[in-house]
Amino acid sequence: MLLREVEYAKPGAVAEALQLLAANEGARALAGGQTLVNVMKARAASPDMLVDLNGLEELRGIELAGDGTLTIGAMTTYTELMRSAEAKARPILGEVCATIADVQVRNRGTIGGNVCSNDPTNHLPPLMVAIGARMTIAGADGEREVPAEDFFLGVYLTAVGPGELLTRISIPAGKKDGFAAVTLGAEGTCICNAAATVNGAVRIALGCVDAVPVVVTADSAGGVADAVRAANLTPPSDVHASSEYRTHLAAVLATRAAEEAAAR
Amino acid sequence: MSETTLAPAPVEVQKGWGGQSVKRKEDKRLLQGEGVFVDDVKRHGMGYLHFVRSPYAHAHITRIDVSAAEAIDGVYGTLTGEEVAALTDPFFQISSAPGANIKDYALAVGKVRYVGEPVVAVVAETRELARDASELVEVDYEALPALVDARRAQDSDAPVLHEDAGGNLMWTGLYSWGDFDAALAEADRVVKIPELHFHRFNSTPLECDGALVEYNRGVGQWTIHTNNQFPGFAAIMMGPAMRTGLDKLRFVTQDIGGGFGNKITSHPQLVVCCLLARKLNRPVQWTEWRTDFHLSMSHGNERWFHDTEVAVKDDGTLLGFRTKALDDAGAWLRYEPLGGVIWAQVTPGMYRWRHIELDFTQVATNKAPVSPNRGYSRMQHLWFTERVIDIVARELDLDPVDVRKRNYIRAEDMPYETPNGCVYDSGDYAATLDLALQLIGYDSLAGRRADAEARGKRLGVGIGSTLDSGTNNFGQSQLINPELQFSGNNEVATVKLDIFGEIVVTLGTTPQGQGHETTAAQVVADILSCSPDDVHVRAGHDSYWNSHAGFSGTYASQFAVTGLSAVKGATEMLAAEIKKLAGAVFGGVPAEALELADGGVRIKDNPDAFLPFMACGAIINANNAGLPEDLDVTLNCRYVYRPPFEVPDVERKFGNLTLTYAVQIHVAVVEVDPETGSYEIVDYAAVDDCGKRINPQIVEGQVMGATAQALGAAVHETYEYDEDGNLLTPNFYDYHVPHALDMPPLATGAIESPSPFTPLGTKGMGEGGGAGIHAICAAIQDATGQIVTDSHNPYQRVWELMQQ
Amino acid sequence: MEIAVTVNGQTYERDVEPRKLLIHFLRDDLDLTGSHIGCDTGNCGACSVIVDGVLLKSCMLLAVQANGTRIETVEGLSEDGELTRLQQAFNEHHALQCGYCTPGMLMSTTALLRENPSPSEDEIKKALQGNICRCTGYWNIVEAVKSVAK
Repeated sequence: MLLREVEYAKPGAVAEALQLLAANEGARALAGGQTLVNVMKARAASPDMLVDLNGLEELRGIELAGDGTLTIGAMTTYTELMRSAEAKARPILGEVCATIADVQVRNRGTIGGNVCSNDPTNHLPPLMVAIGARMTIAGADGEREVPAEDFFLGVYLTAVGPGELLTRISIPAGKKDGFAAVTLGAEGTCICNAAATVNGAVRIALGCVDAVPVVVTADSAGGVADAVRAANLTPPSDVHASSEYRTHLAAVLATRAAEEAAAR
Repeated sequence: MSETTLAPAPVEVQKGWGGQSVKRKEDKRLLQGEGVFVDDVKRHGMGYLHFVRSPYAHAHITRIDVSAAEAIDGVYGTLTGEEVAALTDPFFQISSAPGANIKDYALAVGKVRYVGEPVVAVVAETRELARDASELVEVDYEALPALVDARRAQDSDAPVLHEDAGGNLMWTGLYSWGDFDAALAEADRVVKIPELHFHRFNSTPLECDGALVEYNRGVGQWTIHTNNQFPGFAAIMMGPAMRTGLDKLRFVTQDIGGGFGNKITSHPQLVVCCLLARKLNRPVQWTEWRTDFHLSMSHGNERWFHDTEVAVKDDGTLLGFRTKALDDAGAWLRYEPLGGVIWAQVTPGMYRWRHIELDFTQVATNKAPVSPNRGYSRMQHLWFTERVIDIVARELDLDPVDVRKRNYIRAEDMPYETPNGCVYDSGDYAATLDLALQLIGYDSLAGRRADAEARGKRLGVGIGSTLDSGTNNFGQSQLINPELQFSGNNEVATVKLDIFGEIVVTLGTTPQGQGHETTAAQVVADILSCSPDDVHVRAGHDSYWNSHAGFSGTYASQFAVTGLSAVKGATEMLAAEIKKLAGAVFGGVPAEALELADGGVRIKDNPDAFLPFMACGAIINANNAGLPEDLDVTLNCRYVYRPPFEVPDVERKFGNLTLTYAVQIHVAVVEVDPETGSYEIVDYAAVDDCGKRINPQIVEGQVMGATAQALGAAVHETYEYDEDGNLLTPNFYDYHVPHALDMPPLATGAIESPSPFTPLGTKGMGEGGGAGIHAICAAIQDATGQIVTDSHNPYQRVWELMQQ
Repeated sequence: MEIAVTVNGQTYERDVEPRKLLIHFLRDDLDLTGSHIGCDTGNCGACSVIVDGVLLKSCMLLAVQANGTRIETVEGLSEDGELTRLQQAFNEHHALQCGYCTPGMLMSTTALLRENPSPSEDEIKKALQGNICRCTGYWNIVEAVKSVAK
């Protein structure tokens, strides 16, 4: 509780938000705030200014193109994703969102906020990497697109640089996806997770085992466990899991996610 | 999702309100957001207090500078350990030497001993500003090595927390009853268990601690609005330290957001609030936030059992055990070392073994101080006895149900005197187990086992059978320290008839959700022949109501005995006075000829001679001219219930330590995923016998709550420290308490074996003995086929068991 | 910053620091102390309120972000001091003990029942996932909600 002093701005357009972020070195974008506000309560981070993105209609909405590509505004909430008819084109999205935290958090937390915080225990970073999402980042010089694989740079660190904003995420068509996780209790803090997509070969992205999602590929679900072992993971140890246990879970969960994907 | 089954045995149905699930009187205000919790209390001009806390587990404080903080506009002032040491005396220590020699103040003085220890207090105009200013307090530390593993505490090179105690040993005592060596000689086998570990956790009441303290300079008196759950204890600790009489400390609470024992030892923080309220001459408000609570408040006792030997016969008959208990008290003895004797209330658990030797040692470590937590100290010991049973059963290849039934104390042996002189009052443990097994469908488990295996899971079943000993004989403190002048127990209630005939009850207790207003009203209504709706039980506690005694509070499973017996006593006094008054009014009618009915008193064989309570109240309070001079009636009755206790024999460590023993038998069914070690509790049964139940629904609610807490502790909840003494689970993100989706289907059952020792046949209940922890450990052992040696079994530990 | 919010039908205009969390604003500035604080990490849900029809935790929202919104809190649930059916069900099923989590539980289940008047047991549990109770073990809360489900 009890944040440090902070300035607050609520821009009405993305361009204005970008200006505010560029002009104030200590400014941070405030999306759903379901992570950032908690970090600020702990005073582990204390931005000088919060640029509230909640007034930016440009960043909301889900569109489904004729080729099956989904374009999701960064400020789309988990609940919106779960309920969207368009988002059903890639069913795994809504399914995973339904297991994030709880109703209240899902009502406010956003897909953009989730990936931009890149907490290694979040579900969406590995999912985005596995299904080949592409992130559009806006800055003073216009927009650029970054594949999810290159988007996540480190713990709490992404390709979104100072003065920039993630504006939307595009996701290619596909249905054969899977996801598996071990959490503290049902839908609690994540210990290890794995997202898989099958498109001929199997593509896995593992979460909680490194600072960024780790990609592993295999010819079939049956080869996933060996592929994970061959990746020589060195996950961190913490109070919930040792490095050894996480390494083990990674192989098990990757296989389960791959099997789920293959079975669709 | 939950079902209640009553025992097939005939249960005597009580007449009247007692025994009925009367809906709670407390609920209306709580459901409308109109409860008054401590942080809801506001006063004009109050300042908000924020603590500067130690970032070190162990360090000398070399310098403190509060000037930058005090210079901020809106900061009202600060308090340092140096000032505390000048203004107060160290808190009284319960322990004998060496623990007696430590010097415990309300703020750290010269040294910090755990991460999160309060070092400086800052008071400011707003909550945010107080925290801002606390960041400007400069404290220089000289770090010292930290001691986090109790097993290293007595090593020659271990860092020493309290130089005054000459080492980390706080208290030690050898308990020996019967003749364990003879038991060894008689035994067919000796089962040896090198190490068992009961982990550190607590009940994390959803509301953390807090206070609003006002100082009345004119009369030198503090009013302490607080959610402390045992004001009688807080006063005894605070008065001498603050060099003031106890009547200068007025404790007031209304609603408390859960306690579970964790809100007993907030007296250091309350002293800080008092000193600052006086120093700054303004009300001081303190709210503890969740992370503060996890870092610093009331962890449960972590305990190790080493070199355990169990003497058994081949048929599973248990003769006795010997073990060494090592208890980790954390940095301070805030209620300790009472945990060093409280366990002895349930020395043999539920079993008939007579030869018991337990060498108890308590040490200090650089972790948060421990203090009572639901099931305090008995839970640790009962977990030990239950683990022993299941380990013995496994080693002897016997059915855990058979081993239990062979060794349970029998119904026909009740009341049963334990080897250490406690008297188990009543109960039929085998019948209770049978009901629990019936509820879980024990006979059909083979099929469920096969079904789980077909799905790649391993099914495990476990039993936890525990006692909830209630109504302490505080004389047991003399086993810890023969110098102490505490014994017995007491609780107070007042019942009066007001001027318009309102029935008004005050309690000495500080309820935190146990429904005291409701059950007290039920007892009163039965005696006065009215409805509970006609009985106004004042919400909360106020020590100025004159309805408190030395042991007043809500703790240690006792309200149904001490609290309700006090209510009963006071109400019976009032009933007698009403009859006396009516007898006089009716012109000398004897009490035997009168009866209470329909909200008044009447002559039995002349129903027209009726005096409503309103008239009684009015006559005594406002219309009393002409009453006989010798009519000794006030209609305002105070009764102190004092349970029948003797002082225990200190030499033999022998005597009755608690009055009642409620029984809990739980059965858990788990399904383990062998690939990940994760598991789900797929079925659960809990049977409780707490004697007469005044309000069965409230009793069942307590059973459910204790079950949920035990399941959380068994699977996820733990206060883990790294080697530098940093708490790794300081909030609900990493300290995972059960959520709705974590809860298994639950079947509850009840048996009523009235206590022969209590006025209402009730037994204290609510703590539950941690039966769920034992049941889960046993179920994991069953599923994995490996001996479980830790009370905490997160997925990784289960996975590791399966690698063995 | 000047903000105006409508809480339980009444509009309040106040000057607040941007850093003030909505829960502190409700409790300290507006004296609506029915919503509670049980954690500092957004886990416990005791502060749950409904903002413009959406169930949120008021500890993860700044008061300034609530500017212009309509907020519902536990104090606004009952009309004329009478308990709602849901509140009565909590009483009948002993779905509260200390009562500290109860306001949040009521807001979460109120939001659930508006969207889904006949939730299954699993849906009820899922809807309660953001609210911690340390007294009841949730069983009786689920029973209470079930009893008013259509």
